[in-house]
Formats: sequence, structure tokens, C-alpha cells
Amino acid sequence: MKLRTIRYFFREAFVNLFRNGWMSLASIGAVASALIIFGSFLMISINFDYIAKNVESQVEITAYVEDSVDKLKINQIEYNIKSIDGVKEVVFVSKEQALEEFKKQVGEELLEGIENPLPNSFRVKVETPQEVAGVAERIQKIDGIEEVKYGKGVVEKLFKITYWMRLVGLAVMAIFAAISVFIISNTIKITVFSRRREISIMKYIGATDWFVRWPFLIEGMLLGFTGSLIAIALLATGYSYLYDMVKMNVPMISLLPIEEFYDYSLGLLLMGTVLGAFGSGFSIRKFLRV
Amino acid sequence: MQHIIEMVGVSKIYPGGCAALKDINVKIGKGEFVFLVGPTGAGKSTFLKLLFREELPTRGQIFINGKNITRLKPKEVPYLRRRLGVVFQDFRLLPQKTVYENVAFAMEVIEASPREIRRRVPKVIEMVGLSHKMNSRPHELSGGEQQRAALARALVNNPDVIIADEPTGNLDPDTSWEIMKLLDEINKKGTTLIVATHAKELVDAMKKRVLQLEDGRLVRDEERGVYCCET
Ligand SMILES: Nc1ncnc2c1ncn2[C@@H]1O[C@H](COP(=O)(O)OP(=O)(O)OP(=O)(O)O)[C@@H](O)[C@H]1O
Ligand SMILES: [Mg+2]
Repeated sequence: MKLRTIRYFFREAFVNLFRNGWMSLASIGAVASALIIFGSFLMISINFDYIAKNVESQVEITAYVEDSVDKLKINQIEYNIKSIDGVKEVVFVSKEQALEEFKKQVGEELLEGIENPLPNSFRVKVETPQEVAGVAERIQKIDGIEEVKYGKGVVEKLFKITYWMRLVGLAVMAIFAAISVFIISNTIKITVFSRRREISIMKYIGATDWFVRWPFLIEGMLLGFTGSLIAIALLATGYSYLYDMVKMNVPMISLLPIEEFYDYSLGLLLMGTVLGAFGSGFSIRKFLRV
Repeated sequence: MQHIIEMVGVSKIYPGGCAALKDINVKIGKGEFVFLVGPTGAGKSTFLKLLFREELPTRGQIFINGKNITRLKPKEVPYLRRRLGVVFQDFRLLPQKTVYENVAFAMEVIEASPREIRRRVPKVIEMVGLSHKMNSRPHELSGGEQQRAALARALVNNPDVIIADEPTGNLDPDTSWEIMKLLDEINKKGTTLIVATHAKELVDAMKKRVLQLEDGRLVRDEERGVYCCET
């Protein structure tokens, strides 16, 4: 392909973009709205995931040690826990530390003069939250462990919720991706349809399919690119607003930081551009068969 | 004489069941000027469409320059069309482009160099006598002028064959005559011409080879023929 031909493709794409000004605006609008909807769901689903991960990472196991166990045995137990598959972190909490924490919670004076009733314990974090139950069971089996707690039931329920949140998020995203492709290919179909005569003339005077196709592909990519830029600008504004709102009013929930949104916006930009190319490539196919 | 076009047992049945051409066998030599005549619906346009692959024959083989064009892959079709200059009855000029741009476009499509385009296009437009309308768009032109522009576009890439479907269709007798003279000049420079027409007087006056179709059959093939012998 010659350089001047490539220049011709771009010139042609730009000229057509402006010549069909209203149609182009409609296409950009369609791309932008589809991507805004898609992007919104993407952000919702990503945030679900982010929140779920946060909550999940807070899940931990507390293993209480029998009172009769001595210092040496405690080290042995710690080693045993650490060597269980899937254990990420083990922290020993002595009787005294536990009492200190407890005092902080309920107040110093109340516990004055009482013998420390709290046992030694380990706080265990696991690599993947879903392994909590299995790990807990194995810790329980270690000699010298009296009791293991990890919020049985609650944890399982939490995982069920986050699982469904992810699934629904993915499904909604897939649906809106499909809808976006549909809208884009249809809008570009209108552009292509209004120029089907031109296309057939080009074919009859000996143009190759690619010669006809390229300007349309570039036009589609430009439309998709512009549309996604608009969508990203609006989404970013909306998201940063939402982020601040949530931060101020619901401090216990932390949303995905706005910086991370920009990583995703690059993906959206690519997606809009590719969708534009696909849409126009798809709609021109039929008209090339002359 | 070397044959540039050869049809062997060609039939065309349209999807609706209409048999537009029936067992056509014909050879056309390099540099010939051939009129294709016959009543409306006889199959003239179909005959021409088979040549530049707007349609495929239902049966039979078509050779252009010895190459069987019924076997071409879609990818090869553009290169066939580049060797044929087609003048469509409805001109098929691009409405947004000027005469110059329309003609230049045919060269851009085949990736000719800008220098060559600048050199060749004005020459061809002058040849068809349209220099004064070079920068007009098709809707600013009369029917005859549009016909010339279409002819210029068909000519610009020096095709081996020019195919014209009723090039004088809606034109007054004087203009028709001028167009025919133009076609004859082009033919004298060595280009093969195939012209479908209803213009009886012109065919009779030009004394060229005449192929007559009737109801899809080739009923007459006459050197230096006339439009119709019976009536
Ligand atoms: N695309 C098509 N589909 C179905 N039938 C067709 C098609 N094109 C032409 N025909 C039929 O084929 C026959 C021949 O048509 P064609 O256009 O070749 O005639 P023609 O000789 O060019 O007529 P005219 O002088 O009116 O232009 C006609 O009966 C027509 O109805
Ligand atoms: Mg016809």
C-alpha cells in the first residue's frame, strides 16, 4: 500500500466525517451513551469487587491455645500453623496483650484485681478468603489448640453475596457490551447505507474491497474514539463526584480510588475505537458484494 | 485476429426464473466496434453485465483476453474491471465530486501517481470535449455532458475494452451523433467497443458489426450491419 493511498484514506475518512456531520454526531452520541452505560456498570461491578475484596481480606481466624500449654509448645504450634497450605500470616497474641486490648475496650477500672481470664491465642490470615473454613479445621486438629473461631456461617454468607455480585456485574457488562456493538454498527450502517451507491460505483470502476473499506474503518474508529473520549470525560466527572460523596457520607465504605479509574478508561478508549472499526466493517460487508 | 472476448454456450437465468440469455456463442476481436441491438428485455444489459462481472452466467464460459472470468475469485474481480471501461446508462458519477474529481477518482482507485493523474485527466476531459465544465458537479451538467464525463472516466485508465449501455439513451439526435463519433474515434485508436443501443439511425449509419438479441437468443451477427432487417 502506498503512502499517498494511506493519506487518501485518512482524507476521505475526515471529509466524510464532516460531510455527514449530523450522522457523525449521532454516531458519536450513540457510542458515548453506550459506553457511558457500559462504563457505569463496569465501575459498579469493579467497585463491588473492590469492596468485596476489602471485606474478604478482613476475614481472619482466631485460634485459642489451651492454658496448660507452655512457651516451647506455643512456638511449636505457631510453626505448625504456619506450615498449613494457604496460611498467609500468623500473629501470636499473649494473655497479657489480650487483656490490654480488652481493658482498652471496656475500661481499666472494671477489671482491677481480677486474675487474667483470657487465653493465649493466634490470629491467622489466609491467602484466599475462601480457604478460611478448611484452614480453620486443620488448625483445630493441632495438639494444644482449644478452640478456633472465624465467624462460621457469616463468612460463608459473605462469600455467597460477593460471588453473586461478581456474576451479576459480569453479566450486565456483557449485555451492555453487546448492546454497544449493536448501536454502533447500526449507526454506521446508516452512514454506509447513505453511501451505498458510491461504494458500488467504486467497486465497478475497479476498486479493491480494502480500498473501499479502509476509509470507512478509519471513520468508524474516529467516531468510536471521539465517542469514548466524551464517555470517559463524563464518567470521570461523575465518578469523582460519587467518590467524594461516599467518602464524606459513608466513611466505612471505601470506593476504588479515582486514579485506578484512569487505567480502566484506557481500556474503554480502546474498546470504543475497536467497536467503531468493527461496527463499520460489519455494516459495509454487504455493500461490497457487487 | 486475436479474440479479446469470447462467450461459449452462455446462458443466464435470473433467480426469479427469467431466462435473460440462452446459449450465446460469440467472439469479438481486438479493436472491433460492436453494436448490441434488440427489443427491450432482449438481454442486452445482461450481456454487458456478464462481461464486467456484475452478474455471473448460469451456464457457459466467458473469456476475456483468454482468461476465463467466470472462474475469477472475488479478489481478482477488481483487476478485471480495471481493464474494462464501463459507461453506465445512468452514468453513475459521484454526485459530490466535480467532473475532474470523478475522472481522477478512477485513477486514484488504481493507485496511479498524482503526477500521472494531473497529466492524464485534463487530456481525457479535453478529448470528450468537456474542458469548460471540468469543475462542475454532475447535477450542474446536462445529460449529454454527464454522458461525456462518464465516458472520460471509462477512458482514463486506457482500458482494453469500452462497454457502453445505451450511451445515447436520453439524448437528442445531434448530441447522440456526437457521442457516437467520439466512440468511433476512441475505437480508431485501438480500443474495442461494445455498445448496446436502440438508436436505429446511428447503427444504420455507422456500418459496424451488429449483434441482435431477441428473447435472450443471438439471432443475427452481421458485419457492417443495420439495426434491423425485417421492419
Ligand atoms: N436482476 C434481475 N433479476 C431478475 N430478472 C432480471 C434482472 N435483470 C434483468 N432481468 C430480466 O432479464 C431480461 C433481460 O433484461 P435486460 O436488462 O438484459 O434487457 P435489455 O435488453 O437490456 O432491455 P432494455 O433495452 O430495456 O434495456 C428481462 O426480461 C428482465 O426482466
Ligand atoms: Mg438494458
